[in-house]
Parts: sequence; structure tokens; C-alpha cells
Amino acid sequence: MKILARIGFWLLVAGIGLFSIFPFYYAVISSFRSGNDLFSVAYLPERLDLSNYVAVFERQPFGTNILNSIVVAASVVALSLALGITAAYAFGRIRFRGRSLLLMTILAVSMFPQVAVLSGMFELIRGFGLYNTLPGLILANLMLTLPFTVWVLTTFMRELPKEIEEAAFVDGATPWIVVRRVFLPLMMPAAVTTGLLAFIVSWNEFLFALTFTLTNERRTVPPAIALMSGSTAYELPWGTIMAASVIVTLPIIALVLVFQRKIVAGLTAGAVKG
Amino acid sequence: MADVVLKNVRKSFGRAQVIHGVDLDIADGEFVVFVGPSGCGKSTLLRLIAGLEDVTSGDLFIGGERVNDRAPAKRGIAMVFQSYALYPHMNVYDNMAFGLELAKSSRSAIDAKVREAARMLQIESLLDRKPRELSGGQRQRVAIGRAIVRDPKVFLFDEPLSNLDAALRVQTRIEIAKLHADTRATMIYVTHDQVEAMTLADRIVVLNAGRVEQVGTPLELYHRPANLFVAGFLGSPQMNFIPCAVSRTDADGVQVQLPNGGTVTVPVSPAGVRAGETVTLGIRPDHVKVLDQGALAGRIALVEELGESHLLHVDIGRERPLTVREPGDSRHEAGQEIGLSLDGAFCHLFRESGGALPLLAPAGSPTGRPAARAINAA
Ligand SMILES: Nc1ncnc2c1ncn2[C@@H]1O[C@H](COP(=O)(O)OP(=O)(O)OP(=O)(O)O)[C@@H](O)[C@H]1O
Ligand SMILES: [Mg+2]
Repeated sequence: MKILARIGFWLLVAGIGLFSIFPFYYAVISSFRSGNDLFSVAYLPERLDLSNYVAVFERQPFGTNILNSIVVAASVVALSLALGITAAYAFGRIRFRGRSLLLMTILAVSMFPQVAVLSGMFELIRGFGLYNTLPGLILANLMLTLPFTVWVLTTFMRELPKEIEEAAFVDGATPWIVVRRVFLPLMMPAAVTTGLLAFIVSWNEFLFALTFTLTNERRTVPPAIALMSGSTAYELPWGTIMAASVIVTLPIIALVLVFQRKIVAGLTAGAVKG
Repeated sequence: MADVVLKNVRKSFGRAQVIHGVDLDIADGEFVVFVGPSGCGKSTLLRLIAGLEDVTSGDLFIGGERVNDRAPAKRGIAMVFQSYALYPHMNVYDNMAFGLELAKSSRSAIDAKVREAARMLQIESLLDRKPRELSGGQRQRVAIGRAIVRDPKVFLFDEPLSNLDAALRVQTRIEIAKLHADTRATMIYVTHDQVEAMTLADRIVVLNAGRVEQVGTPLELYHRPANLFVAGFLGSPQMNFIPCAVSRTDADGVQVQLPNGGTVTVPVSPAGVRAGETVTLGIRPDHVKVLDQGALAGRIALVEELGESHLLHVDIGRERPLTVREPGDSRHEAGQEIGLSLDGAFCHLFRESGGALPLLAPAGSPTGRPAARAINAA
């Protein structure tokens, strides 16, 4: 009985693992194949053909696209965290009229589907003169990342004992010093977790990036991949697309691995009082 | 000079008023303890003095200066929190140095002060540890250390020992007393623990529902409680209260009739007391004597042995049994009928308003009670 349960458990684990990893695995395999091979089914790599990877960078300014993505995602993370932590301090610690209403509004914003705000956002971006620029994308993406950043950080801030902050005030700290020297270090795990999520959201964001950019040089990676064209109008360049997808997935995997320990700490933070 | 003066201080949270006009005069170098039941506003009062809450109305002076609108750090105070409130991400050294660093002290001055405080509190070997690597007692020392290095004129403690075990409590209590003797700083200390209050305080402030009930030295409060609340709050086990009627008043005091017929004359000022008036007689468990025949008769409901003494809970036909404390082991058993005598010299009388009738001090004894005890013992 015990053995059966064990076997069942591991089968389940294997099933879930396969289900989550297979699409990426298949993308990696496909990216090494070209021509007609692509349209036959194969589960094992036959040879290491890097031509797709070369083609990605030759046929479009893919390097620029990646750089754009990095600039946008990094700025979004930095702004989200800076705004999120200061907002969390206000929401978590300062009593003011309409505080919970404001919090609910922020939550409500995150419930609008992207498409619903698309046209309004477009007018806004054009009005600011940010159409087809990276700051325009950064601004738009903040709408996606700020609500959850503020919420998660506010919740976390509320769990920090108030006495710690009061002790700092007695020690002569200003609110800004308290945020920087006391809260920021304590909130590091939460900040890393939300920052990483914000990075992923912004890195994968497609709709805004497609709508608010015009030229190839201003695009971030997701629309660039979607708009890749083959050598003729009738060819869908699967191999190149797969190669591009693999390239842009790697930074995310690397980030997650680097911050893995911090994320785990973030998810269990608050369980133990310091 | 760092006296602390409160003038008609009030505090409301939204609609709810929790401090109702407190007047208090704490002298420089004095050790004052706030006691009172849970929720009476002890912490709030302390936090008002610290500046962590704003005074709603009234004036607060520290060292002669009005500090109502001054930031906590500018009031010359240091506070030790019940939950220690150490900075979890800093080691012990940095925890203590943080305030000095913010005050832009020089590195060498900071180092000297931190090491001096660490030596005083015997935590020199812990300076590199994080708070989570310390025991409760060690954390409390660090919290006290953090207060000491600020060289405050006024120390504020909010139940600093309540998270420690009994032995550590006694030890830390003695250390705090030593700290007071060494620094001669003004100290304000909130506690639930009567022993802490009695042993540490120069003066005790008894609070109830946001009001000051009585202020005085520990013995003053113990021997001459101003009202029923203070009498019932200080002393453990609690003072016994027996409702009775005044039968006669004269120059020796007030004679009252006990529920089952006996009378006791209590040496209190009879001014304004009428015969027939209902009063409450109060007597501490230590002062009730067990006899075969006495002013009161009752049946022992329960015997509690405490080792050095024992408690008899005596049913005297009223809903609350009378508590008697006698030294040593009990000679009695539950169910036994006994008589009790109440020595008038140790009794208190409270009028229906709750106020105590002032004691008639015997000649040559300013406080009255200790002298009365001496006479009795002789
Ligand atoms: N921030 C606040 N907002 C609203 N009410 C408060 C606040 N802080 C305290 N109170 C109320 O003020 C009253 C006094 O609280 P306080 O913490 O001073 O009591 P305390 O005497 O310290 O009690 P304890 O012995 O349990 O610590 C309580 O009724 C409490 O509910
Ligand atoms: Mg309290």
C-alpha cells in the first residue's frame, strides 16, 4: 500500500513536470532544426544546427529588441519597487482619509482586462508624446505591475511589528530613514519576489508593446517575435521563432535561479517573527 | 534637570477618549511606576510622554520645556518596548549604535559608548550576533543597552520584563534598579507585576480607565489607599471587603456593625459620617486573626498551602469568601467552623462613593499604619 502510494506520488510529480517542461523542451529541439524537418514530429535532438540562431539576429534588429526589453523591464521593476515600497509605507502605516478606498481602487485597476484600457491608454500615451518610445511602454507596463506590487508590499508592511519603526523614531530616524534603513532590508524578500514577478510580466508583455510601438527598432521582444517574417510572405519562420523564444526565456530562468533562495524566503516570510 | 510634568493631558483615538485629564508631577531622578488593570491607558500615557502619540489636549513638559509638538528623538527620552523591538537585520552592536549614528556622533564616540553599555549589561560577547540568535533575556538587555547609549534624561519602560521567566525577571529587575542608582535618570515604568511596582518605585501611579486614582510611595498606597479601587488593586491576595453599617462615631473613630452582629471600631476620621450609613470595611488577609470565637464566624471553604504561608478561604455567609493568610502550615481543614477577629487598627473604611475615610494617625507616627502594627506586635 505504502509503495503504491509512493509510486502514485512520483508518477504525479513526473506528469506535472513533463507538462510544464515539455513545451519549452520542444521549443529548444525545434530551434535546432530547419527546413522541412520542422514539420515532422521529433522528440530527440538529431544535430546541433545553429543556423536559426544566426538568422534571428540577421533578419531583424533582434539585439536592439532584447536591449529594449531589458531597459523596459528593468525600469518597470525599479519604478514599481520604488513606488510600491513608499506606497506600502503610506498604506500600511499612515492613517489618512480614504485609505481603504484607495487600496480597493488600486486592486480594481488590476482587474480591468488589458484590451479594455487599450484605446484609452493609447490616447494617453499619444497625448504625452510617448508613442513609439520606450518610456511610453514603461508607463503602460506600470499599470500592470503596480497594483500587485503595492498590494503585496502593503500586506507585508502591515505584518512588520510597529514597535520596530517606533524604536527607530525614538532613535531619531525620519520616515525616509525608517523606510530605507529599516523597512527596505526587512522587506528584501518580498521586494525580490514582487520585483521578479514585475520583471516577468513586463518582459512577456505583448499587447501594449505591439500597440504602442511602430518601428522595428522600438519593439520589445514579444511583438518582435510575433512579427517575424520568413524569406517569403508565405513562409512562417518556425525555426527562427523557436530560437528567438529560447533566447528570451534564458534570462528569466537565470533570474529565477539566482534569486531562488530569496523567493522561497519571501514566500515563508512572516511565519517566523524576528 | 529632567522632571516630567503632565497638565490635564487628554488623549482620544477618534471618538473614544482613553486618557481623561491626567495631572502628574514627576521629579528629576525619580522612579515612577504606572500600574492599573489591562486597557486602562498605561501604555498610551507612556507613548504620549515618548511622543509616539500626539496629546489631544493638555500640556506635557520635560525638563521644564513644553514638548507637545516635539519629535520623540528630540525629547531626551529612550524607550524600552515590551516586545524588545530590536532591528532584526542588524547585529547587537549596530542595534545599539543606530541612534548615535543618526545623531552623527563620531565613530570613536559611538564605539566607546556601545562597548561601555555592553560591559555594563554583560553582553560584550554577543555584539556580533543578530537578535534572532539571542535568548529572550539577552534581547531584553540589548534593548536596555540601546536605551542606555542614548544617554537619555528620561527612561521609559513598557512592561519590559513580562516576556521573561520568573528567575530572569528578578535578576533583570535588580539590574534596572542598579541602572537607576547609577544613572540617576528619571524613569517611568509600566508594569502589571505588583512586586516590580512595590520594589522599584519611588512613587506608584495607579491608573483606572484613563484616570489617576492615586499617586504615592508604595507603602503609602499599601497602607493608606485613597479609595476602594486602589485598596483592591494593590496587595495579593486582594483585600477583603465587607459591607456594613455605621453604628456609632466618636473621637476614637467609627464603629461599624458586622453582618453577623459583632462590632469593630476603626480609627478613622468620623467627620461627615452619620450613624446608619452603609460603608465598606476593608482588611488585608494578613490582618485577620483566626480564633475559636471572634467578631465573625464562618466555615473554611478551602485551604491553600503556599509553603511559607497558607490561605484560608472562609465562608461567612456572603457571596465572596473572606481570605485569611497565616504564616506556616495550616492547622485547619476545609469544613471546620472558626471565628475571626478583625483588628480595627488594620481596617479601612470606604464610603459609598468609594473614597476612603482618612486614618487618624496615632501620635508620633506620620503614616499611622506601621506604628499601629508595632503597637500590635508588642
Ligand atoms: N491606536 C489605538 N487606536 C484606538 N484605540 C486604542 C489605540 N491604542 C490604544 N487604544 C485603546 O486605549 C485603551 C488603553 O490602551 P493601552 O494600550 O494604553 O492600555 P494598557 O493599560 O497599556 O493595557 P495593557 O496592560 O493591556 O497593556 C484601550 O481601551 C485601547 O483599546
Ligand atoms: Mg500596555
